[in-house]
Amino acid sequence: MKELEKTKRISIAAVITILVVLIAVLSYKKPKHLYANNTKSTLETITNSNFFATLEDLKGENLALIDVRNQFEFEKGHLENAINIYTPEILNDENSKILNNLKATNQTIVLYGSNTNDVTVPFLLLNQLGYSNVKMATIKNSYYQNQLITINDTIEKSIADIKEFIDESIKKASVESKPIPVKVVTPKKVITVQKKKKKPAEGGC
Amino acid sequence: MNTTKSVSKRYVFLAAILIVLAGGLVLLPKYQKHEGIEPEELLSKAISPERYISTDILADKLVNQDPSFILIDVREESEYTKYSLPNAINIPLKKLLDEESIPYLNQAQYNVILFSNDNFYADQAWVLCNRLGYKNLKVLKGGINNWYKTIINPPVPTEDMTSLDYELYNTRKAASMFFGVAYPEQFKVDKPIEVKKVAPKKVITVQKKKKKPAEGGC
Repeated sequence: MKELEKTKRISIAAVITILVVLIAVLSYKKPKHLYANNTKSTLETITNSNFFATLEDLKGENLALIDVRNQFEFEKGHLENAINIYTPEILNDENSKILNNLKATNQTIVLYGSNTNDVTVPFLLLNQLGYSNVKMATIKNSYYQNQLITINDTIEKSIADIKEFIDESIKKASVESKPIPVKVVTPKKVITVQKKKKKPAEGGC
Repeated sequence: MNTTKSVSKRYVFLAAILIVLAGGLVLLPKYQKHEGIEPEELLSKAISPERYISTDILADKLVNQDPSFILIDVREESEYTKYSLPNAINIPLKKLLDEESIPYLNQAQYNVILFSNDNFYADQAWVLCNRLGYKNLKVLKGGINNWYKTIINPPVPTEDMTSLDYELYNTRKAASMFFGVAYPEQFKVDKPIEVKKVAPKKVITVQKKKKKPAEGGC
């Protein structure tokens, strides 16, 4: 009798446990996007490996160009064969499908925007999500007479030596500021003094 | 005897279920790499222009000696020693996630402003730190190059520009002097404009003489 009660309790407890687990499993939603790399390994990849593609590299085969600018800019002008995926929409289902397809077919994804800085965020995001086949194009796009002009972009290039500029300015200023006695050269007025001719003494004694 | 047999069967059954469930735990570590905030959240934060700070605002903060922020230079050390913004701390991008750097980045006391030559490296640092959930991070828009273009060497407005541009130029010029740039006209000693002391007018209240009632009369 005692044994029977014990088993009853155990089975009730078991049923409850299983129910709880079932509910937990059912309510657990698998997140759509999962990181494949942690931050440390991502940092290592971005500091050590080369993931840039120059304008010349874009002509290579087996690569898919993705324009991360908005639709308006894309329609104004874009590179040949490019697909438009605007950065804020890069995690949409549709776009994920496209990206996964490209990954499955082993194509290199090359991201480009109006300049290299534009691509930082989508590149890092995709990289962390495990798309190891992504590169960023170091190109700059601008318009000249409604024509898309694409040139190579340099990243993180210091444009000026500020310290030198400051030193230079101080030097320059101190040179110029030396009280140069400004001689106001006024043209000397030449006054020709007519010498009075001594008049011959008039008369005399 | 019969009951004990069925009981033991049930125990075996229960044990089997628990083992199966425990086996499920093996699958969990797959998600361990999922460190930091959700990718969707990271994306929405990253595309917001809020995360940038302009050079003008930064210059203003530095001039006014705002104590609420720290500057972090993510360039290489060699570049940092050459020139950096006043009181900046150097954390090269490679060392961003080192243990020594974390106290600077992950704190609630100060706002952190990241910068590099452009905003390329600073953006990368921003994305990584934000994924880890660090708060109060900003990026200097345009980095040191923009700092040079706008504050250190501001473009002189041409005549067809509005007075606002002139005003901006004057503020920037004043700021650049604060950061060490000298201008030739700075040295020309202007004669101190004599401030005419306006002596407060003494208010003399004239006491009106009360008309004395006419004394006598015809």
